[in-house]
Amino acid sequence: MSRRHLETACLLGPALVVLALLFVVPLARLFSLAFTDPTGPFATFGILAESAVYRQVMWNTFVVAVVVTALCALLAWPVAYVLSRLKGVWFAVALYGVLFPFWISVLVRTFAWMMLLERNGPINRLLMSTGLTDEPLALLFNNVGVLIGMIHILLPYMILPLYGAMIRIDRRLLLASDGLGAGLLDTFRRIYFPLCLPGLAGGATFVFLLSLGFFITPALLGGSNAITLSMLIASFVNDRLAWSLAAAGSMALLAIVLVLMALTARLLPMEKGFFAR
Amino acid sequence: MNRLPLFLRMAANAGASLVLAFLVLPILAVVPASFNKASFIYLPPRAWSDIWYERFLADPEWRSSLFNSVEVATLATVIAVVIGTLAAIGLRRIDGRLRTLVTGLFLAPMIVPVIVTAVALYRSALDVGLSGTILGMSLGHALLALPFVVINVGIALRAVDGNWLKAAAGLGAGPWTIFRTVTLPNIVPGIVGGAIFSFITSFDEVIVAVFMAGYSSKTLPVKIWESIRLEFTPVIAVAATVMIALAIVLFALAQIASSKAGGHTR
Repeated sequence: MSRRHLETACLLGPALVVLALLFVVPLARLFSLAFTDPTGPFATFGILAESAVYRQVMWNTFVVAVVVTALCALLAWPVAYVLSRLKGVWFAVALYGVLFPFWISVLVRTFAWMMLLERNGPINRLLMSTGLTDEPLALLFNNVGVLIGMIHILLPYMILPLYGAMIRIDRRLLLASDGLGAGLLDTFRRIYFPLCLPGLAGGATFVFLLSLGFFITPALLGGSNAITLSMLIASFVNDRLAWSLAAAGSMALLAIVLVLMALTARLLPMEKGFFAR
Repeated sequence: MNRLPLFLRMAANAGASLVLAFLVLPILAVVPASFNKASFIYLPPRAWSDIWYERFLADPEWRSSLFNSVEVATLATVIAVVIGTLAAIGLRRIDGRLRTLVTGLFLAPMIVPVIVTAVALYRSALDVGLSGTILGMSLGHALLALPFVVINVGIALRAVDGNWLKAAAGLGAGPWTIFRTVTLPNIVPGIVGGAIFSFITSFDEVIVAVFMAGYSSKTLPVKIWESIRLEFTPVIAVAATVMIALAIVLFALAQIASSKAGGHTR
């Protein structure tokens, strides 16, 4: 080995050792537990797939992720558009409005929503004082709370890629479309929307993948009425000490995430600049 | 389309303002809740007081959780910054498939759902006796912070021109001298940015910490997590406000560091 190779190995070595010991080996060790069920090596996966309760949990995880992604896409649209048109101070104000939530811990933000959505919380009191409802709505410990909390946390992941796509759109294309006599709706449908699509798809992928693995927010805002796969994994470990089931659930979650990532990476060329080089 | 009709522009502005308010205001609601005089959380408070800050500081459990958080985050930051900076420099010296593979491995902790990483770490920590220790949590947090350091330092390294290194070598400087006098001064902003990201990643992290924490090694988020489930009191709002304040200060510092990095590249 040449001197240069030795140096490179010394530079990469410590991080690779740490990754191996803290990441690769623990994951392999955990996954090996999935095959240790006394009733057979693949029994854990059978239990997860056949139990109506667990199927319900996976269905709920999937539905929450789809609804969160769809609502994030809808809500991100006006913000990304306005961001792409603003300049100067107002642009900075709007941009920091999007970035500020990123800085704050997910736990703190989830706690904030618990205060706001409480039975006697400010939102319920506002709804009642304006006469929209007669009695407090159940906004907490069900999927309503989970959706609100998760959208709040994941929305910036949708706004930023969408804004990135909008800002790159050549305005002259829109002018040309106008000049050639296309109406507003036509220009949107045939020019603007297709050009926004890569950003929208990228953001949707992020949001969907992140929501599949969410734990803190559904655990606190949804509770036992809205169990997700990650909550199920945690309860296998903490309440039931069922390590083989926790391992099988973890493998399933990771497999779904990796497959979806591979699919979307093939469909849309992810930003190469994202990776440090 | 280039210029929307007035009513559509107004609708877009109104929609954007509402969504931005939805993003920012709920977080700010934590601060008044922490100054509530009542013994339960009520928004907006009818009477103000700093009594819950006194309770927070007087309670040994809350205090020690704050110190534990600082300790864990500091240790995690040191580990992540040292190995991550070396790794980012090393990554520049390999090419092709090997680089893609190693980069992917370094970024993998960002991709695997944290619950999976947390359960895996917890299991292995149980086996080797690191569960319930400050060191165990620090190592877990260093793992989650590593990608941020590799990315930040990697970006800063792009500004270091390969010709400078050749020039330095041609003038007779050894590898260590080149690193100390050419590379390091140029990547300091990236290292500082990576360090701040690491610290905040660890300080805010709950999932790994909830699994790894023992009775006496709870971090602030773990203590908040447990308190939310036991008793919903304004002390939690105080702890949350402390976390918000710290995050704002650290990110202001990170902004300064990254603007300095930009100054070097261009």
